[in-house]
Amino acid sequence: MIGTAALFAQLKLRLIAGALRGDLQRKLGFVFTLVMAAGIAVLGFGLMTLVRLAPRDLATDLVVVAYTAILVGWMTVPLLAFGLDDTLDPARLSLFPLRTRELATGLLAASATGAWPVATLIVVAGAPAGLADGPGGVLIGLVAVLLQFALCLVLSRLVTTSLSGALRTRRGRDLLAVAALFVVLLAQLPNVLLNADLGDPAAMLRGAADVLRWTPPGLLAHAMADGGLAGLAEVAVVALLVVLAAWLWIKALNRALVTPDASTQTASVREGGGLADRILPDGPLAAVVAKELKYLRREPRFRVLWFSAIAVSVAIAFSLSSNTPGGAGPGLPIGVTSMAAIMIALQSGNVYGIDGPSLWMNVVAIGSEDGFRTDLAGRHLASAIAATPLLVLIAVAASLFTGHPGAIPLAVLAAWGALGVGLGVGTVTSVTIPYTVPERMNAFTGAAPGQGGQAFASAMGAFAGIFALSLPLAIPIAFGLVWLCAVAPVYGLLIETLGRRLGTTIGFARMPELVAAVSRPT
Amino acid sequence: MTDAVRTHALLKRYGPQVAVAGVDLVVPAGSFAGLVGPNGAGKTTTLSMVTGLLRPDGGRAEVGGLDVWRDQLQVKARIGVLPEGLRLFERLSGRELLLYCGRLRGIPRADVERRAAELLRVMDLEDAAGKLVVDYSTGMRKKIGLAAALLHNPAVLFLDEPFEGVDPVSASTLTEVLRRYTASGSTVIFSSHVMDLVERLCDWVSVMSGGHIVAQGPIGEVRGGHSLNEAFLRLVGGPRAAGDAGLSWLGSQPASPAVQEEA
Repeated sequence: MIGTAALFAQLKLRLIAGALRGDLQRKLGFVFTLVMAAGIAVLGFGLMTLVRLAPRDLATDLVVVAYTAILVGWMTVPLLAFGLDDTLDPARLSLFPLRTRELATGLLAASATGAWPVATLIVVAGAPAGLADGPGGVLIGLVAVLLQFALCLVLSRLVTTSLSGALRTRRGRDLLAVAALFVVLLAQLPNVLLNADLGDPAAMLRGAADVLRWTPPGLLAHAMADGGLAGLAEVAVVALLVVLAAWLWIKALNRALVTPDASTQTASVREGGGLADRILPDGPLAAVVAKELKYLRREPRFRVLWFSAIAVSVAIAFSLSSNTPGGAGPGLPIGVTSMAAIMIALQSGNVYGIDGPSLWMNVVAIGSEDGFRTDLAGRHLASAIAATPLLVLIAVAASLFTGHPGAIPLAVLAAWGALGVGLGVGTVTSVTIPYTVPERMNAFTGAAPGQGGQAFASAMGAFAGIFALSLPLAIPIAFGLVWLCAVAPVYGLLIETLGRRLGTTIGFARMPELVAAVSRPT
Repeated sequence: MTDAVRTHALLKRYGPQVAVAGVDLVVPAGSFAGLVGPNGAGKTTTLSMVTGLLRPDGGRAEVGGLDVWRDQLQVKARIGVLPEGLRLFERLSGRELLLYCGRLRGIPRADVERRAAELLRVMDLEDAAGKLVVDYSTGMRKKIGLAAALLHNPAVLFLDEPFEGVDPVSASTLTEVLRRYTASGSTVIFSSHVMDLVERLCDWVSVMSGGHIVAQGPIGEVRGGHSLNEAFLRLVGGPRAAGDAGLSWLGSQPASPAVQEEA
């Protein structure tokens, strides 16, 4: 048993070491992870012990909420951020002659190995220091810490294993990719909460703790604070729950090992010419627009990008409108809608990223600058077609919300201008700083390993370019010359055209390099 | 008559490593040519440079007498490509993929639709035409990739490992289509390390090893009276004398019993 655990722990360490070999950027990333984990461990432990300074009730509530948050994190983050790593997918190990018990021990050992598990253990261990009174409390506290850690490991495993069948299918992975959005939304939550007037934070904490008090982590936190017989009973209940979860996990593991993958038995998709073919003359332009519009619908990475663009603009709109003293002027809907347009346009800052390794199909077909420019025009047209109804919606909502219905047409016009500027700048960053968008996007990085720098430079370049090129119109509009919005679409189209020309000149000459940059292994 | 493909001292380096070290590849028009060589010989790199997907560090490549990098437009209209790896536009259905490729090349929609329907029928992909390419099996991918490469009726077709991972039924469909295609005077160049297949299909063969062409010519000449496999092993420095040094434990009756420990 110990042997198996040690072997799997070693395997995990080897996998981590192997992933680092030879690549400076990954090594730096790993060092960063270590520093982060150490920082969070120290900070978390410190905060947990500081809970002692708070009144008793409040202290218990804080630990209840913190423990629950840690457990939820363990259950969701591996799925959203990392998918199935090699030690997480039992199918990788199904051919080895291991009994399920051995496999279970080994997989648990593997998930306990690493920087983040150790950091979790340290943070969790801070709670008894902040909460426990007397020898009974300390003793129960120590057991509770181990139980909380075991609960994190086992439940995290239970979730990934029960979903591993679904995750190996294409549809499952597509769904999961979109689930990564929730992390993006969660990241905006504090912003919204701080700006919204939801009442007393202490009362909110109280309410949350009252509900979470009876969840397993809540029981553990309460047991530490109690330190007596009731605490002992609570710890016993959670121990039973851990055993039950482990049993369920072993059952799920058994099933996962013998269930075959049936991911390619899928139905046909809805085909059809669509909008592009009805309004555009037959030719390469219509072909590109049709393909791009299909990709917007079907490619999970596009869904993620579009949803996050909209979510971020809504969050910004929300905090802007509640922060403006004395009510917002007609400038606000114009600004918010333009911001949304820029967010949408920013997705085109690495326009070949999602084509990725399939880009060769374009390269073997496009033999002239004309062809290259047509391809870009098609992509921009598709973006504009998809963005326009959304921008109209945002303009209407923002204008009505701030009580300036007259600003609706102005906001839409300004947003079209912003979209044009964004697409024009994005074309140049696309051909100068291309990078691979990984097949499985996670909420924390949008680039292939080793290309984080390019992704950052591309985003910064796009921001800077859009900012600088928007100023000539944005400044007078901000100072009240709102009629200038009428000129915005023309200005946007001008920048888009110039960007497309410049992008074509640069991009056509380096098509093989473009393909190589967006086809990196992920 | 000009050759279908001709390269002069084609060169590609990756850092200190030379992947292709001055290759002079020649393929006469109308031939069914095989490019053979062990793994890492530079076959894929050479084909990528000839098809305009990889920029060479030196040398020239010509297709039908036209420079691949200077006369891109004409060359790209004349060639069809199926690289290894098979990354296609995954979120289009097979039929949509063909329509996209054809129309991107400026072929009118009605023509593309007719050609795509015929290709799908010949490739036995009619049932799967409405499924997304991401859900295709390896054999189906090779077939739809070949269909996309043939759609604009190129004069020269480049295929990188077209038969790898393909079931026998799909493989015979592929060879059937390719035979018909070369019979009309078009040229096929494909890389492979299945010697039997090359021997059966090809009338011209180029042998690569360590980034060089080590033999090239009509298949009869390169074979020189032996089977292609024997000739190939001689050219690339065939199997090292395996000897009895290792693997003594392998097989039903191990030569030495001293292998059981380890654990």
